[in-house]
Formats: sequence, structure tokens, C-alpha cells
Amino acid sequence: MKASLQRAYWISRVTFLEAVRQRFFAFLVVLGAAMVLSSLSFRFLDFGHGELKFIADFGFGGMFLFGSVLGVVMTAQLFFSEMDNRTALTLLAKPLSRTEFLLGKFFGAWAVLAVFLGVLSLLLGGVMWWREQTILVQAEQRGLLPGVFSASGMFAYALLQWLRLGVVIAIVLTISSIARTFLFAVIVGALAVVAGQLQWIAQDVLLKPADNLAYKSFLWVSSRLLPNLQQFNIGDALVLEPASVPTDAVQWVVVSGIFYMVAYLVLASAIFRRREI
Amino acid sequence: MTSAISVRNLTKDFRIGIRGLKLRAVDDLTLEIPRGQVYGLLGPNGCGKSTTLKIILGLVPATAGEITILGQPSATASARERTGFLPEAPYFHKFLSGRELVRYCAQLSGVTAERVDQSVEEALALAAMTEAASRPIGTYSKGMLQRIGFAQAIVHDPELVILDEPTAGVDPVGSAAIGRMIHAMRDKGKTVVLCSHLLGQVEQVCDRVAIMDRGKLVLEGKVDDVLARRDRHVMTIEALTPAAQDAAETALAAHGAKVTSVTHPRRSLEDLFRELVTGSRDA
Repeated sequence: MKASLQRAYWISRVTFLEAVRQRFFAFLVVLGAAMVLSSLSFRFLDFGHGELKFIADFGFGGMFLFGSVLGVVMTAQLFFSEMDNRTALTLLAKPLSRTEFLLGKFFGAWAVLAVFLGVLSLLLGGVMWWREQTILVQAEQRGLLPGVFSASGMFAYALLQWLRLGVVIAIVLTISSIARTFLFAVIVGALAVVAGQLQWIAQDVLLKPADNLAYKSFLWVSSRLLPNLQQFNIGDALVLEPASVPTDAVQWVVVSGIFYMVAYLVLASAIFRRREI
Repeated sequence: MTSAISVRNLTKDFRIGIRGLKLRAVDDLTLEIPRGQVYGLLGPNGCGKSTTLKIILGLVPATAGEITILGQPSATASARERTGFLPEAPYFHKFLSGRELVRYCAQLSGVTAERVDQSVEEALALAAMTEAASRPIGTYSKGMLQRIGFAQAIVHDPELVILDEPTAGVDPVGSAAIGRMIHAMRDKGKTVVLCSHLLGQVEQVCDRVAIMDRGKLVLEGKVDDVLARRDRHVMTIEALTPAAQDAAETALAAHGAKVTSVTHPRRSLEDLFRELVTGSRDA
């Protein structure tokens, strides 16, 4: 078991090094950072909400959007670069199981996303803290009580997003195990993420009475095959009103995320074991 | 002692196209590769030799048949622990240095942390890559890529080394270096299986050969046995004059022998090339 984890670690280490050297990663970090910083310029468009909430929503949007793009495209690219360049031939001819190889790819990609989310969270947290200091002074002068930024809430949000992107990576690895081309894996992976974001609609419809059993069955299956990725988006509540988020709701999101992540990795491993290299 | 590789009735079919048409790549192949020898698997492109190697290494499942490596069922991680593999036209992560790649492969192959530094340096030295080991792989020439590929294949001191087209695209000097590495492995008692269609080189380095065509084994045996023509003889004579030749032919005819051809001995173009560029280095 220890040797197996060590081999997965070596694969993940090289996968991580390969990914962080890519311009694509740097490009998305810069884009995400630019989006977080640009929230300062657009904060007058807060549509009547608090300034901190606007900045938080803008930053979370950047983390969600670019994190998802990175999770889908980079994971598929890291997988297919090993297949297309035939480095997988060299590696899998060693005493390395395909599950270990896949786990290495997973943890390598997940570590890259930890760096991505870490950088953007620190930046967003810094921007929000800085604005909070200014707003607090102004609010005290006016006798108002503004929303208070929670650093621990930001940390919890970053962890939840990391878990969400872990689920995305696991889904993309499952698709890549079946797919023959990088493009197919990216397109289907992106569709899966969109479907996961909209999965709550299927759940809502499922709760309503319907006569068509086939339709109900389809909704039931589809609402369980794909995780509800929307449930991870509780960022503004966690960061600005942490007391309003029930602990059991966060626990449920974590348990559900881990369940889907493990389930998709098991499925990916089962498929990849049968793949001809 | 068990064979290094035992292949019995191996068949591999590939399904192609939407209709799943069957393409037979390997057809009822049976092969015993003895230990401690250099074994050449020959054949034209598409004859099934690379597929056979991939099946042996568990990279591709067999349709039918039984394979063991060093007495253990192939396609198991434990069988691969004692096996090293250099794929055809190897490609490695360009951002790693040669030393980092060999270390990475040593770690994946289960070399212990205490032994890893020594194993890496030994493998680099055997592949004559110590000097260039700190350079990124992206800067390597084709010959250096093959040599670093050889180093990663042997870093865990395997009993069996499988080389798929080890000299493809490599110049004669590089080929000769790889030939020396193969002989060094044999001298250490290792079994080397190489797959190639460069017949001249195979003839020089292999003890036994198997020739495949259209997925089937058409010939197998010791190189000397399969190449020798027992009904013909070659004599190399210095200062042969026409009169001496006539006298020799008459003498031979008296014993029922007949001279069928008299030519000048030729050296191979490869020998000539290596002789002329002896000082060059593959850099």
C-alpha cells in the first residue's frame, strides 16, 4: 500500500511540474487575477448590493470560470500528452498499476488547481480586506453596520471550490479513459461541467408530480449520475455571513463531493485498465 | 531454469472500424526465449513484433494465449519489476533533465531511497550519459534520447531488458554504442530481447533470432545456425594470381569440389563509416 501510494506520488509530482510549466496555466492565473483586481474598477456597478459582496461575487466568478476551464482542459491535456507522446508506454511498462497512474494524474492536476485557487483566494482575500478597512471607517462615520469579511470563510470557500474542481477532474479523467481524442474529452468534459451546474433543475423537476414514468426515470438517473456542482457555490455566504451557513449543509456538500470524486475515480480506473496503450 | 519469456499460442486480434472488422496482428505465436542471451525479434513493419512486445509487457491484452516472464504470468506488476523496457522512438518529458528522468524511473521501478543515487549514476555511466545528464531532455539528439531511454530501462537492474527498435533513426556511431550496451548487459548475465528490422545490426549483437511475418513465426534459432550455408565454404586468399587460381581449381576438381565464384572480400558500409568517423561523438 505504501509503495503504491509512493508510485502515485511520483507520477503526481511530475504531472504537477509539467502542468505548472505550461503557458496555459500561467495565462489562466493571470486572467483570474485580472478579474479579481478589475472588480475594484467595476464596484460602482454593485446593483444596490454591498461593495464587498460585489467584489466577492466577481472574484468567485473568476475562480469558478477559469478554475473550471483549467480543470477540464488541463486534465485532458495532461492525460492525452502521456498517451499521444507515448510516455505512458514507458511508465506503464514499469511495476506501476494503471490505477496508480490515474491517481497520480488526478493528484497532480488537483495540486495545480490548489495553487490556482490559493493564489486567487489570497488575492481576493487581500482585496476584500483592504476594501473592508476603508468601508469600516466610512460606516462608522455614518453609524452603519457593513458586512464583515471572514478570512476563515474565504479559506472554507477555497477548500469547497477545490473539492468541486476535484470532482471535475475525476469526471474528465473518466471521460479521457474512454475518449480517443483530446478534443472529444474536452468537449464532453465541458458539457458534463455545464450539466453538473444545471443539475439542480433536474432535481427540482423531479420533486414535482409527473405522469410520464420514463421522463421521471431519466431525471432520476441523470440527477444521480452527475453531481450537483451548484451546491458548492455558497461563497458569498461563507465569506460575508459565515454564521448564516448551517454546518450540516457544508458537511453534506463535502460528503457528496468526496463520494462523487471517489466514484468517478473508481470508474475511470476500471475503464482505463481495459484500455490498449 | 525457466525461460526468460515463454509465449504459448499467442493470438491478438484488433477490431477496426465501426463494424468491428477483425485484424489479426499475431497468429498463434509460440516462442521460448532463453535466459542470458540477446534475442532478436525480426520482421517487416506490421508483422506483429511490436504488438507481441506490448502484450508481453501487459500494455495490450491478448486475445488468446499464455505468456510468462521469468516464470511469472506477464501483465502483473511483479513480473515487470524484473523487466526493463525501451519503447520505439522514445519520448520523455522534455522539462526533466536526463538524471531526473532516470531517477523518476528508478523510483517508479521500486529502487529503494538508499540505493537510488548509486543506481542512477551506474545506469547513466553504462549508457555513456553522465556528462549530459544535467541537461534538459529537450536539448538531446536522437541518439542521446535512445541512450537515456536505455538508462531508464536498466536503472533498476532488471533481469530482462526489452528494446523496441533501439537504433531506429540513430547514426552508425550511436548504433555501435547501443550495441556495446547490449553486450554489456549480456556480459552481466541479463537477457536482452530486441525488436528490429535493421538486420545487419541484429546479426552483430544477437545470439538467437526469430523472424515473424504477418503475425506468424517463420524461423527461429541461433544466428550462426540460421545463417550458415553448410554446403558452401569461403576461403580468403592473398596474392591470388590467375595461374594460382587455375591450379587451385584443378586441385579442387580432383576431389570433386568446384569453385563457383571468386570475388574480392568487401567490408560493410557501416564498418567503413565507423572507421572514418571514429573520433566523432553523438552530440
